[in-house]
Amino acid sequence: MSVGATTGSARRITWMRRRRAFGRGWADYRKSTAGLIGLGVLGVFVVFALAAPVIANRDNLDASKVNNPLWAHPLDFLPLGTDNLGRPVWDQLVYGARISLLVGLAATVIAIVIGASVGIVSGFFGGWVSAVLMRLTEWFLVIPFLPLAIVLAAILGPSVQNVIIVIGITSWPGTARVIRAQVLTLKERLYVDRSRALGASNGHLMSRHIFPNVAPLILANLTLTVPIAILSETTLAFLGLGDPLRPSWGRMLDDAFSAGALTENAWWYYLPPGLCILLVVLAFTLVGHALEEVLDPRLREPKGP
Amino acid sequence: MSAQPEATPVGDRPDLAAGPAGPLLSVRDLHVTYRGEGGGVPAVRGVSFDLDRGETLGLAGESGCGKSTMVGALLRLLPSGTKVSGEVLLEGEDVLAMKPGRLRAVRWTEASIVFQGALHTLNPVHRIGRQMAEPIEVHEPSISSRETRRRVEELLEVVGLPARRADDYPHQLSGGQRQRVLIALALACNPSLLIADEPTTALDVMVQAQVLQLLEDLQKELGLAVIFITHDLSTLSSACRRLAVMYAGRIVEDGPSREVFREAAHPYTEALSAAFPVIGDMRFRMKPSGLGGDPPDPREIPPGCPFHPRCPVVEPRCATTAVELWPTGRPEHTASCVRVLEGTS
Amino acid sequence: MSFRFVSRRVLGSLATLAFVIAFNFFLFRVVEGDPVATLFRGRNLTQEQRATLTHQFGLDGSRAHQFVSYLQQTAQLNLGRSYESNELVSSAIWRAAWPTIALVGVSTLLSTVFGVLIGISAAWKRGSKRDYGLTSFTMTTYAMPDFWLGMLLLVVFGVMLSLFPIGGITNAGSDATGVSKLLDEAHHMFLPCLTLTLAYLGEYALVMRSSLLDTMREDYLVLARAKGLRDIVVRNHHAVPNALLPVVTLIAINFGFVLSGAIAVETIFSWPGLGLATSQAIRGPDLPMLQGLFLVFSASVIFFNLIADLLYAYLDPRVRTG
Repeated sequence: MSVGATTGSARRITWMRRRRAFGRGWADYRKSTAGLIGLGVLGVFVVFALAAPVIANRDNLDASKVNNPLWAHPLDFLPLGTDNLGRPVWDQLVYGARISLLVGLAATVIAIVIGASVGIVSGFFGGWVSAVLMRLTEWFLVIPFLPLAIVLAAILGPSVQNVIIVIGITSWPGTARVIRAQVLTLKERLYVDRSRALGASNGHLMSRHIFPNVAPLILANLTLTVPIAILSETTLAFLGLGDPLRPSWGRMLDDAFSAGALTENAWWYYLPPGLCILLVVLAFTLVGHALEEVLDPRLREPKGP
Repeated sequence: MSAQPEATPVGDRPDLAAGPAGPLLSVRDLHVTYRGEGGGVPAVRGVSFDLDRGETLGLAGESGCGKSTMVGALLRLLPSGTKVSGEVLLEGEDVLAMKPGRLRAVRWTEASIVFQGALHTLNPVHRIGRQMAEPIEVHEPSISSRETRRRVEELLEVVGLPARRADDYPHQLSGGQRQRVLIALALACNPSLLIADEPTTALDVMVQAQVLQLLEDLQKELGLAVIFITHDLSTLSSACRRLAVMYAGRIVEDGPSREVFREAAHPYTEALSAAFPVIGDMRFRMKPSGLGGDPPDPREIPPGCPFHPRCPVVEPRCATTAVELWPTGRPEHTASCVRVLEGTS
Repeated sequence: MSFRFVSRRVLGSLATLAFVIAFNFFLFRVVEGDPVATLFRGRNLTQEQRATLTHQFGLDGSRAHQFVSYLQQTAQLNLGRSYESNELVSSAIWRAAWPTIALVGVSTLLSTVFGVLIGISAAWKRGSKRDYGLTSFTMTTYAMPDFWLGMLLLVVFGVMLSLFPIGGITNAGSDATGVSKLLDEAHHMFLPCLTLTLAYLGEYALVMRSSLLDTMREDYLVLARAKGLRDIVVRNHHAVPNALLPVVTLIAINFGFVLSGAIAVETIFSWPGLGLATSQAIRGPDLPMLQGLFLVFSASVIFFNLIADLLYAYLDPRVRTG
């Protein structure tokens, strides 16, 4: 029987084992109150973003379609007042959540896919392949993110897709390094050699043995990369490199600043988006740390008296 | 630090035995429980023994039996939150009840510790000389730096290292050399008690022998009381006059070392000594060695005698009798085995 | 630390710099597609003006030819001319560099000092209320967009309390000199500096904390206590020096990055440094300016990475003598 074809029962056993490991992991995760709070906050924001068409009105984003008082205080115009063009802040906030979260997640996915692939391939093959890939990673690490992102965004033009691409291709080196280190330790383990002795191909080894073991690490790395991506999007949007047609939290801050909300004391315009970013980033960070503790028990803080 | 012309075993020197007021060290009902879920992890469960001035005590047992924990407890070096109860009378004073200032003054000057010489015991970013000078400067603040330097070089010489080693960093020394540095360091403030916690475990056999010899010579010269901790019984039989064996947080046998090693009263001691055969000794040729099973989890100690699940001569009453150290009939030799009560060991 | 070690590192950095320079060129010329069109984006120029500008910016001639002349010019530190002001990019950058260096230098110094102190204090009393409070505080400031924090500080201290000016480096129209000018500049620098300090001290605090927590596991601390040393002495003389090693590297590396990280904050406070120049160049887009700024930012990161490498090798005796 060739190694590539696993029997039905063997596959089922593997899945059962994975499900049980997942259950144990979840039970461990539940022990961290911070992790649960983070997860809860994220849930709230995701619901908000998805429910946008229900809880907010898209037309209110267009200045030409509204007829409201300018700079209205939240007590005069529920729930969050209006901006310098009379657009309600609430709708911008809710629809902005969609863009900020979407960009954060999509860019991270790109970064993780590139980073993990580079990490796995480089760690697994070693030799000149690894040397070349590592040089490449080092170069990308050295180039400061913001100027590169600015330059790329300025050249490619402002749009949501471009922002996602820009953040994605500037964030992958960190993941690559972490994953590569893990692959190197895994490679030392015996079962890789045994599999090879049985005639397994490189592809089989990488997908069936290496990948499932780095997957949890990739997940933890993902949750810690998303907040960075969201903050990057915020900064890019603030500098005018975001999509001019779509609202985002960063863009709201840019609009607020340029319109003089600071001197107008229109706190309802610049405070909510900043707070939302702060909460989302904190939530992802808490979740990421809780995940790390589940994966590496040494990191756990001592509990109890 | 004068050398004695004849090396008489210290056990036979009554002038050094009981000092001013009783034994040098007296441990009474020591209990140590680490912080953990569900009440904690009991690592030491009622240890009592005395140590006279100049007396050498070997302490043996498998990993996890609580011997290193006990060492930490003697000078209160365990992580904060660890519960320690009982009495540790050093020169008549209870260490566990000392105020922090008094404790710091006593550390290293009355009792010092020789740890395992792994690279991590010495601070990697400080030179050897500086690390050795540190306790001297702390306990004798008025000392001049020249005098400190002289003392450091003298200490290095005593352990057989060239004085220029003081300018090296720990990673520049071999394992054996680092161990000698730790011994020299432990002598820096002229303590009366030296606790050697597995000092030869990480070393090659040849180096082990040298370090053991060094410790023996120093002990005789300086009349130190030594507690020598190891899991390898064979190293203890010649170095120590007395031998105690620990299992599951308690002492299970205590007596003159040669006797304990060759005619053990407790089945565990017998199994332990069989596991470390002495080359050339015919007795080890035929006996099967090795003991099945593992030491019990400190959180789930078996009732009665904690050793009974693994004991090769177990009897039904072993699971229900609360064992303690009973006299075996031989002088100074006690063991916590029910067979001792009938004299059938 | 041998000459071979140092020269290998230096050569490596130069190679990376060379890569960045070449990358810079391709970024602007190749990716963009038609640089000529970008140059004229939104401008009304005659045919003759177009020809002059094209030639002036070296946009005629083949790609290879352009690349060579680009290399020559860069070697002579000629970075072209700004599309907007027609000023030499190199002199504009030179002028804008000092305010940024001052701002970033002071704030990095403050965030490292306070960050490290906070990290030490939190780690040593791990699990205590102090640890919890400090860690929460630093995580929160680190989670904020730095310029948003700047906006809040500006509103509270600049607008509402009027304690500090709300922008610029000096009061407009003032001709103060010497000490009073310096004081005025410092007064203007206070808020942006505070913003950057608070925004970035979280990273140092968290890294120092985790580094010290790792160090606290080490056996040499038990030995230090056994010698009879006081707790504070054990912490400061034994634990902290070992824990500082990775932090020092981080500080050096970060200095290179913060230079470009102050872009948004400088914009908020109209601080006339490289960051403000960058955000203004974006609005053009003033490509030569962006290209020059990108080169300067990358070069500073490469330079400080090299410093970090050499510094770590020097400070860790295991690397220095081993």
